[in-house]
Amino acid sequence: MSYRKSVAKYVLAAALVGGVTLFLWFLRDELTLANFALVYLLSILVSAIYQGTGPSLVAAVISFLCFNFFLVKPLYTFVVADPHELLDLVIYFAVAILTGQLAAQVRRQADNARQRAYEQDILYKLSSTFNQLTDRESVYQALKSILKMDLLAQDVDILPGKIETSSSAQNELYLLLHTEHDIYGTLRVTFDQAPTASLIRLITASSAQASAALERIELNERARKAHSYQEADRLKTALLHSVSHDLRTPITIIKTSASNLLELHAKLTEAERMEISRTIENEADHLNKMVGNLLDISRLKAGALKINDAWNDLEEVVGDVAARTWQLTHRERIKMHFPDRMPLVRFDYGLMLQALSNLVENSLRYEPADSKIEIIGSFQEGEARVSIINHGPDLLPEERELIWEPFYRGREGNIGLGMAIARGIIEAHKGRLWVEDTIGGGVTFIFSLPVVEDIDLDQDPHCR
Amino acid sequence: MIRILIVDDELAIRKMLQTGLKAAGYQVLAAANGTEALQMAAQYTPNLIILDVTLGSPPDGLEVCKNLREWSKVPIIMLSVREDEKIKIDALHAGADDYVTKPFSMGELEARIQAVLRRSAVEPSTSSTAEIRVGALLIDLVNRRVFVEGEEVHLTPKEYELLRLLATHPGKVMTHRALLGQVWGAEYSEMDHYVRVFINQIRKKLREDPARNIRYILNEPGIGYRFIDTE
Repeated sequence: MSYRKSVAKYVLAAALVGGVTLFLWFLRDELTLANFALVYLLSILVSAIYQGTGPSLVAAVISFLCFNFFLVKPLYTFVVADPHELLDLVIYFAVAILTGQLAAQVRRQADNARQRAYEQDILYKLSSTFNQLTDRESVYQALKSILKMDLLAQDVDILPGKIETSSSAQNELYLLLHTEHDIYGTLRVTFDQAPTASLIRLITASSAQASAALERIELNERARKAHSYQEADRLKTALLHSVSHDLRTPITIIKTSASNLLELHAKLTEAERMEISRTIENEADHLNKMVGNLLDISRLKAGALKINDAWNDLEEVVGDVAARTWQLTHRERIKMHFPDRMPLVRFDYGLMLQALSNLVENSLRYEPADSKIEIIGSFQEGEARVSIINHGPDLLPEERELIWEPFYRGREGNIGLGMAIARGIIEAHKGRLWVEDTIGGGVTFIFSLPVVEDIDLDQDPHCR
Repeated sequence: MIRILIVDDELAIRKMLQTGLKAAGYQVLAAANGTEALQMAAQYTPNLIILDVTLGSPPDGLEVCKNLREWSKVPIIMLSVREDEKIKIDALHAGADDYVTKPFSMGELEARIQAVLRRSAVEPSTSSTAEIRVGALLIDLVNRRVFVEGEEVHLTPKEYELLRLLATHPGKVMTHRALLGQVWGAEYSEMDHYVRVFINQIRKKLREDPARNIRYILNEPGIGYRFIDTE
């Protein structure tokens, strides 16, 4: 409380007594001594309630003097003629002081209760605000906003690390944001005047709540990281197993074939040499594909896949896969149905080609030799879909989730990365990939990609 | 005799290419880094350069390609790995004629070498082909008419322009940006989706059927398109 403000309270208390004295002095012939005393007491109560202990004490003293000087005969002296009146005066003085103090105390208690309720409010607000926050920056923002808006701080700063301050400014406060385990920075709060004890309590509580929130956020982050490390660890084991086992097979075949060529060259027929060379080439292709898959799954799982997305046409990718399939098998194994105006979608062409190839390859593996898989494109509000339908055996219920696991080897016993890569790629494009039963038997893979906006080139004058 | 310069920092790959290309009847030179490559290109004026994108030490393949194009029109085929799409596009824009993705077979590389040499021998602007025939497709360049299985197909002017551009450069990779620049103008070079939509429309009109391998326009994933090369 400022000095000027408290002086004003005393002046006001004195003025009130002065006013009352003037009023009583005008009516001095109509009123009795008891009337005077009661009116004065009333004014003492008023200043006790509104101005507090000190001013009410001053008011009591002044009123006693004025009472004596202006109202008790003989007037305008401090001499009291009647001993009864002297007694009355003394009793009045005692009562005035006593009631003044009592009233002021009641007032103080009411004030304290109000202050505590206010503090409770702020504290409640603090804990409910901080509990919802999930990142550091928003904790800092919330702390700043509470200090400024609710606690009327002039300026709030959060400085990194622990700051040793030599500042002795009364209106500036430095608080360390810390918990048992960690230090999160130093809070500097400036007010336009020195903060009261209650305000300091609130600021301390705020900074403690903020520190607790920061600690909670950090622990959550650590738990998340630990989880992904665990996941990475599991993958690493599977990767190592795959490298040591799956990659060795083609390497062994290549090595043996090459040394056969070298050492047995003269004894081999031309046809045998051709056969061995072809084996080397096939196994090298196989090896190359596996290395590509292993790299892809590692990148996908590490979140390190770079997506060069652009406006693309799903029908084009499906067509590409269909043509590649023909080049491998020299047979028509795929039937495509696409609507006339399939919307363009943003994706990375190379990655989508790979995801789709994996799904098609898997589907073809189970498709009866005399029939075709179907690939159907469709679109609806907000998404474009592609369904890859085969007519082979049904998926076992327990396989529905397992097929997406890296290194899950299905009935065919290949390296088991194709499905995991397909799903990883599609999910990296914010799409979904799932499996359904084909009506009449078989497996249908469906994936959907979000359609952000429909580009309508009919409206574009450059496209005629 | 056709002289080919091989630039690769891997000794084993240089050796393998040398053996293969010599057997195919080319005269072969080899450089292990970019600086050596530029010197040899100036000194021996090869007819074609096979240039690895990653050379281990600076200057890398892309820089060598840019440097070569400042003073030479020698055909360049880049060697790259699958993930290098961005570098491939940059190399094509910097003037490389084609690229081959590692690992490749000798046959694949030789086919590319021949196609690139053929294209560089006959400049499209000076050639006087009146029509292009591929499978069931006939493009009458004189009258700007297109037929599939003898039936006329109606293309819009932009569709025709795009098809003509691709078809007159058979086997040549054309990036999205290059196609946009030549059909729509350089200021449209970011409008990839134009090309997508137009290629799709052209393919439907030409009755491509990829599942039966009836295709005229081939995709180069992440890079662009090339018209089928039947020779």
